[in-house]
Amino acid sequence: MDRRSFITSALAAGLGGPLLLDRLISTAHAAGTKVLRIGYAAPVQTLDPIKTVFGPDIISQGMMYARLMKANADESEVGPGLAESWTISDDGMTYVFKLRAGLKFSDGSPLTAEDVAFSYNRMRFQKDTAYAAPFQPLKTIEAVDPMTVKFGLDRKFPPFLKLCEIWNTGIVSKANVTALGDDQFGLTPTVTSGPFKFVEWKTGDRVTMARNENYYLPGLPKLDGIEFIFVSDVNTGVSMVQAGELDVSMGVPFGRMKELEGAGVTVVSEPSSATYDMLLNQSQPPFDNLAFRQAVSFGIDRQVINDTVTAGYGTAATSIFSPKLAFFDTSLKVIARDVEKAKALLAQSGVADASFTLLTNAGTTDEDKTAVLIQAQLAEVGITVTVSSVDPGQVWTQLVAGDYQAQLNWWYNETTDPDNAVRWCVWGAGDNKSYYTRYNNDEVNKLIDEGAGEQDEAKRAAIYAKIQQICVDEVAQVALYHPSWTSARSKAVTGLTFDLGSQYAAIDSADLTEG
Amino acid sequence: MNRFAFLLRRPFELIPVLFGISLISFLLLQLTPGDPVRLLLGPKASEEAIALIRQRYGLDQPVVVQYLYYIKNLLGGDLGQSISFRSAIGPVLLQRIGPTVYLLVYGLTLSVLLTLLLGVSAARSRGGWVDQTIRLICVMGVGVPSYFVGLLLVLLFSLKFKVFPVSGYDKSALANLYHLFLPALTIAISVTPILTRNFRATLMAQMNAGYAIAALSKGVPEAQVFWRHVFWNSLLPTISLFGVVASFLIGGTVVIENVFNIPGLGLLLVRSVLSRDYLVVQGVTLVMAAGIVLSNLLIDVLMAALDPRIKT
Repeated sequence: MDRRSFITSALAAGLGGPLLLDRLISTAHAAGTKVLRIGYAAPVQTLDPIKTVFGPDIISQGMMYARLMKANADESEVGPGLAESWTISDDGMTYVFKLRAGLKFSDGSPLTAEDVAFSYNRMRFQKDTAYAAPFQPLKTIEAVDPMTVKFGLDRKFPPFLKLCEIWNTGIVSKANVTALGDDQFGLTPTVTSGPFKFVEWKTGDRVTMARNENYYLPGLPKLDGIEFIFVSDVNTGVSMVQAGELDVSMGVPFGRMKELEGAGVTVVSEPSSATYDMLLNQSQPPFDNLAFRQAVSFGIDRQVINDTVTAGYGTAATSIFSPKLAFFDTSLKVIARDVEKAKALLAQSGVADASFTLLTNAGTTDEDKTAVLIQAQLAEVGITVTVSSVDPGQVWTQLVAGDYQAQLNWWYNETTDPDNAVRWCVWGAGDNKSYYTRYNNDEVNKLIDEGAGEQDEAKRAAIYAKIQQICVDEVAQVALYHPSWTSARSKAVTGLTFDLGSQYAAIDSADLTEG
Repeated sequence: MNRFAFLLRRPFELIPVLFGISLISFLLLQLTPGDPVRLLLGPKASEEAIALIRQRYGLDQPVVVQYLYYIKNLLGGDLGQSISFRSAIGPVLLQRIGPTVYLLVYGLTLSVLLTLLLGVSAARSRGGWVDQTIRLICVMGVGVPSYFVGLLLVLLFSLKFKVFPVSGYDKSALANLYHLFLPALTIAISVTPILTRNFRATLMAQMNAGYAIAALSKGVPEAQVFWRHVFWNSLLPTISLFGVVASFLIGGTVVIENVFNIPGLGLLLVRSVLSRDYLVVQGVTLVMAAGIVLSNLLIDVLMAALDPRIKT
């Protein structure tokens, strides 16, 4: 063999060997099973619904645990889930839910009111529950009989019904949790109530689920299983969809959406309840000064920031929360940038050192773009912005401690009810001090409580309109834009909707069709 | 003394190295701001819940006490608990070592094969077009960062020609020859040029060495001089360079694991640093350090076996 043919054959063997293997392997895959493979840019950390507030956890848990209430695909309506019907007492403080007949867990054991009470008690009162905050009015939970659960609240609280749909109210099996213990249950929840049951969790890699044959809705789910996979790089995720290795890659960078639209995959942008904003620490200069905050607010061009960052897959913010929430004040307009007005406000504020440091999470392209724009826009007003890009872990520490001036952040609301939203972002009396901005307006605090207890829709709308107006006027925080959720999907995926609250609420009707 | 006697000594030298690494990485992480429990429970958790978890993982103790507990557990074979996965670290690490080791061995094997092929071809055609082409390829290979090479390979082989997968790590070793081919090739592309240039240069030098010229002048066939003597003598410096490159790669697979989504140690390390999962970072660091020490040891053994003059 001469040298040249040696080289050629060596290269051919190098490339051909692995290719041949492919033929062997691809035939080994089971045919005919419809397993939906979803890629997400963060790994699942726990499968126990009361222990988390993170995207990958709540998405996968939403598939495994059914709730009393069930939302439709886009979460515009919430109706019966495990509960068939419910009654609310006249004073609005007692809720009684009737369960459907014959409910079963994935292992065939009966799902009773006892399990519901157990799940709610854990979520509400267990010491290490991560998200009991919105359920503060809930004081007692009791199984009246195997089909009936009674909830006692300490005040009128209409948002409660919608809250009975969110992921951490997922019903777990009392027997299973007790037998496994909390820690093991979080790792291997062998009994579930939702459309899918647990199969395997490879920590930091993927959660595998299979159809729950005992799911309470007949004929559903349509899929045979789900693999929820950690794909650390969103661009790799997109390539994997293109190559047929994933069916869905969540969180496509806005800048790539257009390019992918013509590339053989389905590109989806769905409305979210998310708000990207600049948090201002109002407990210290310069943001304790109202005129200075207003100068910043008028100096920023929200429309330009939205168009640049979301490439059109978002809307510029007008209020403090998302237009997708109920009682959003549609009369508010995007604040038009007005440099002269901003300059006047700055002069009026009397702030001598017109500068601040803007904290951003390192490695987030969208925040980098936003920060640069804010810096340039405020420079024209005469305000110097220093951008400090640090590791997300450090950002949180500074935020919670109040050791910052301004910070880019985002949040979303689980339901369409705004109670949770305003309590999260402008409720000075709350644990998180108006999302750590230390904004604290007694009137707003009072209105928030009034809004939560008001049953008349028109009166509620008026209350929330007032809250929004005050918070915009006082620049409680600078809401910038509301992005859509983006994803790339294979053409075979049908009936899959990612809802406002970061859930696939109708995952049981999602399907993969041959194509 | 036997020339492999150092094999007995080495494991003991490993202990202070690992101890030092554990201390430094522990302190470095503790000095970094960021609360693992806040990152775990998220922004919406109550202070009470956070305090409870801090207590549970001993994070409310002074750093020195935490370190001593860590060492005590480590001596008992317990790497501790992962805060973010709420589970023992041992099994999490074990799952991750396989993919990374496989990827490294695969990538380095490809590199060695390519190096031998290209180095010999270049040296044998000194100054000819083969030599020049290989030189050009090497310069390009060295100049392009590996994540970029990875992306190009994905574009070409996965998306355009659809012959290799973008990602994936399978259970069977055989299947992984296919699944990990592109990432292994990426490693080979970043490593081979350095090794090839080094190997070629050594081959040239050896061919001009006194013993080779003497043999040639006595009428020994050129091919015999090259394959029997020059080739083997040239391996030594390349092997020692290979050791350095391999050690460097052990800590550097993260870029490649990221591009090809391989659930290995590198990805785990990055996630754990971000979530301040202290003990997982410790665990991965220790495993990587042990890997580096081990690979150095292997190289030393190989060198000693090839060259009787070497005393380690």
